[in-house]
Amino acid sequence: MTKSSLLLICLALATACAPAAAAGRAKAGDSSLGQTVAQVEPKIVKIYGAGGYRGLEAYQSGFLISGEGHILTVWSYVLDTDYITATLNDGSRYDAKLLAADPRLELAVLKIEARDLPHFDLHTAADGPAGSRVLAFSNLFGVATGDEPASVQHGVISVRTRLDARRGAYETPYKGPIYVLDAMTNNPGAAGGALTDVRGRLLGMLGKELRSSVSNTWLNYALPIEEMTKTVDSILAGKYVKRSADEREIKPQHAWSAQRLGLVLVPDVLERTPPYIDEVRAGSAAEAAGLRPDDLVIFIGDRLVASCKAVTSELERTDRADPVKLTVSRENDLVEITLPAEAREVKSEK
Amino acid sequence: MKSEKWKVLSFDHSPWRAGSVSDRKPLRHALVAVLLLLLPSVLLAAVDDLPQREQRAQDAAVERVAPSVVSIETIGGLERVDDVLVNTGPTTGLIVSPDGYIVSSAFNFAQQPASIVVIFADGSRAAAKLVATDRSRMLTLLKVEGKHDLRVPEVSPPESWRVGQWSIAVGRTFDTARPNVSVGIVSALGRVWGKAVQTDAKISPSNYGGPLVDIHGRVMGVLVPLSPDKTGEAAGVEWYDSGIGFAVPLAHVLKIMPRLAKGKDLEAGMLGVTLKPGDKYADPPVLAGVRPNSPARAAGLAAGDTIVEAGGQAIISRIQLTHQVQTRYAGDRLHLVVLRDGKRLARDVELVDHIEPYVRPFLGILPRRDAEQTNGVVVRYVYPKSPAAEAGIVAGDRLEKLAGQPIIDAQGLAEQVALLEIGHEASLEIVRGDGAPQKAATAGRGTDKPDAPLVVKFKPAAETEQVPDKLPEARGEAPRDEDLPPVGAVDLQAGAFTNECLAYVPESYNPAVSYGVVVWLHAAGEFNRKELLARWKPICEAHDLILLAPQAPEAGKWSPADVAFVAAALTQVTDQYNVDRLRIAAHGYRTGGALAYLLAFQTRELVRGVAPVLASMAGELPENEPEHRLDFFLSGDKQSTGKPAKTLREHRYAVTVQKTPADRYLNEAELAELVRWLDSLDKI
Repeated sequence: MTKSSLLLICLALATACAPAAAAGRAKAGDSSLGQTVAQVEPKIVKIYGAGGYRGLEAYQSGFLISGEGHILTVWSYVLDTDYITATLNDGSRYDAKLLAADPRLELAVLKIEARDLPHFDLHTAADGPAGSRVLAFSNLFGVATGDEPASVQHGVISVRTRLDARRGAYETPYKGPIYVLDAMTNNPGAAGGALTDVRGRLLGMLGKELRSSVSNTWLNYALPIEEMTKTVDSILAGKYVKRSADEREIKPQHAWSAQRLGLVLVPDVLERTPPYIDEVRAGSAAEAAGLRPDDLVIFIGDRLVASCKAVTSELERTDRADPVKLTVSRENDLVEITLPAEAREVKSEK
Repeated sequence: MKSEKWKVLSFDHSPWRAGSVSDRKPLRHALVAVLLLLLPSVLLAAVDDLPQREQRAQDAAVERVAPSVVSIETIGGLERVDDVLVNTGPTTGLIVSPDGYIVSSAFNFAQQPASIVVIFADGSRAAAKLVATDRSRMLTLLKVEGKHDLRVPEVSPPESWRVGQWSIAVGRTFDTARPNVSVGIVSALGRVWGKAVQTDAKISPSNYGGPLVDIHGRVMGVLVPLSPDKTGEAAGVEWYDSGIGFAVPLAHVLKIMPRLAKGKDLEAGMLGVTLKPGDKYADPPVLAGVRPNSPARAAGLAAGDTIVEAGGQAIISRIQLTHQVQTRYAGDRLHLVVLRDGKRLARDVELVDHIEPYVRPFLGILPRRDAEQTNGVVVRYVYPKSPAAEAGIVAGDRLEKLAGQPIIDAQGLAEQVALLEIGHEASLEIVRGDGAPQKAATAGRGTDKPDAPLVVKFKPAAETEQVPDKLPEARGEAPRDEDLPPVGAVDLQAGAFTNECLAYVPESYNPAVSYGVVVWLHAAGEFNRKELLARWKPICEAHDLILLAPQAPEAGKWSPADVAFVAAALTQVTDQYNVDRLRIAAHGYRTGGALAYLLAFQTRELVRGVAPVLASMAGELPENEPEHRLDFFLSGDKQSTGKPAKTLREHRYAVTVQKTPADRYLNEAELAELVRWLDSLDKI
């Protein structure tokens, strides 16, 4: 038998077998996704509350986290009423009580009077790597009512990152880790829904509608469950102490400033004035380190500083007891310059 | 062998390609495939289920391309581009040469940053220089210095692409240490005039400039926002994350890289023809016009020609021609074959990036509109300081020949003048008012023979924007026919449209006289029949005008789709009455004014003038062309007239601006000026 005839026979066999094999496997795949959905849907809750005017929807999503009717959802204006109702997957309706809400994580725990409900266990929640396929369960746009199951969306985890990876990009109290999704979950009513892997293991809770003030685009994201477990546990244990929403970053008492370094930046006239160095003071640390007028400051440490304002605020966060590493652009080259830490003065300033 | 097995299983059996098992693969692949396929599928599913295998293939693909995907930070530049707040966060780029060329989306640099920094996958940074931009495919080439061994991605061979196969979009914007991923399939090939691959992966500022890769991690293309009908950095951004995303094939990027590397931007090529309207997929491209100052004009193409071949390809439909032109750059040559009078003519053209807008030549007269017309055009009014005035032409003169060609009527003269060149001398034969030729007052070469016409020379200038202060009668008395269509206030039924539509035809209507038409487009919810008739009745009677006042549907609000209804109503008037096509104007207040723009832009064969009051421009402004004349009379405050006037003048249209307050419609004096403008729309 020649090589080519062998190849022909092989190809013929392959063609004959391929559709059957592919069909068999596709079916297996479908049924496993189908099983996942069937197993998750009974844990999803449709929540109704305040709103319904001026473009504010009066509904959101949530999911059961105990057999006794504890529901995890996002904290929002929808819950800002004495009359919250929760509709379970089977269409049964309950009055829900707001147990507690955490303004930083923007989460809330509701309670309905029921028993033996199907639910997620927060302590067995999984971790989703970037690129992995996920399902998002929510009542986006309030499509589902009564005993209609919530909507399921399919996508992948685009990346796992922190909301503050781009500082100032998103106006939200929560700055911690998130899953960025490529499914369009950023829609009215979706917030509070469940994010699971393809096996139905809980990964996160869908976040609120969030628009980037930097790229001006909407962000589809979910909060990882592990970020919420501690808070939810203390709520369930009745030990929750409300924290302030605006815990500010603690700034060092003796911080650097441009003046302290011996730098004068160009006048800050624009919203984002490029931080060019206008002048380097004679005898200053900046001069000694070799900074020059017309250098453009690009990084302080590992932080991009794209404007004069960013330079000011970044220096405010840097203690004078630490050296300052500046990366400047000079004639199309990046130059790294480190200014030494200041010896702490004996007498503290008042 | 293990890796081979994995490869065959995971890649070639994606659901989209089932059955197409490795037709061109080496022998051993086929053998392995057969062996594996002969195993019971149950067993296979138990070992490894399809979603998991796909997941692994996708992860591997991303891992493979990730080292070539860089993050880009920009510092400084504009805050807004095209009224859109620009992206200031990190964006993505793709390494295309080991020595530091990086391609990205032009959108990422729309703000013209002062400084660009590239952050590589290993965290190292380098300053980058913007080398050049391809403005047709919206790609930007960057260069970093001092690098020699950057990781260049593999190119996915375009001939392997199938609609339905996996495609993965990769960016590096959320976190410079990790790529961000969106998974989809190839939705279409050869999109946006043959420039791009379309995918349903989510494409947005978070991955513009990054690669679209196949399931093997080989790069298919570079992700960019694109729009089939708009240009500019922000065009197509409105489709972000919509499931409609585009990537310019990497093979093309590599082909144009040497051109971009020279530092010269690449611009979309333009031919300079307008096509007769028709079905773009079915009708052949017949030239309706050839723009002055264009390559098409230089190559001798003419209206009426049909393009039957372009770039070596037979052309059957309009869209095929668009593809051939749009995929080329300015400076590229295009070989065309046109059909003229049954003969094939071959022409070679060099496409250009810019065609000087057409400026309409102007003689400087208004023609009389007497019912009893003889040959030629009798001058009603001469614009002061116009070429006609300087040539000594006076009211009452009869213009008989232009550049040796007989003048039939005003319409004919307008067409003749439209084709003259500005600043180039032309001759006019005229007969003085009482019929006897006389010596022209200033310039001109008179003759003493009693019957010989007077010949004057003039140089056409750009069309005037001034409105005469006072106008003489346009015509004398005319005998009136007894058989008349309806006159006075008439309620029209426009075709199949159910909207109400009022018209006012002068009581003195005379079919022997030609009439102008004012299409009045009311502001949202502000239609007042009584007030309207009181305002326009005397004007219509005094100036041979017909008023047409279509009404918006129920809510009283106009939508762009209403253009069809208004056009139908207007056609009905032009069919039923003696209408002078040179004097049809769309006049609207606020949203009605926006519709007036739209009506004029979309039905150029119907509308000659646009007079919006306190309205912003709607629709896409067409190029100024000799065949389609459009004049503008903008009323309003600086805010409403400033921007449209600037844009229109950039396109070399004649624009008259009338300053009026922002809180009301025109007063009597302002309306009178508008009426004089309407009455001078037939200027030549």
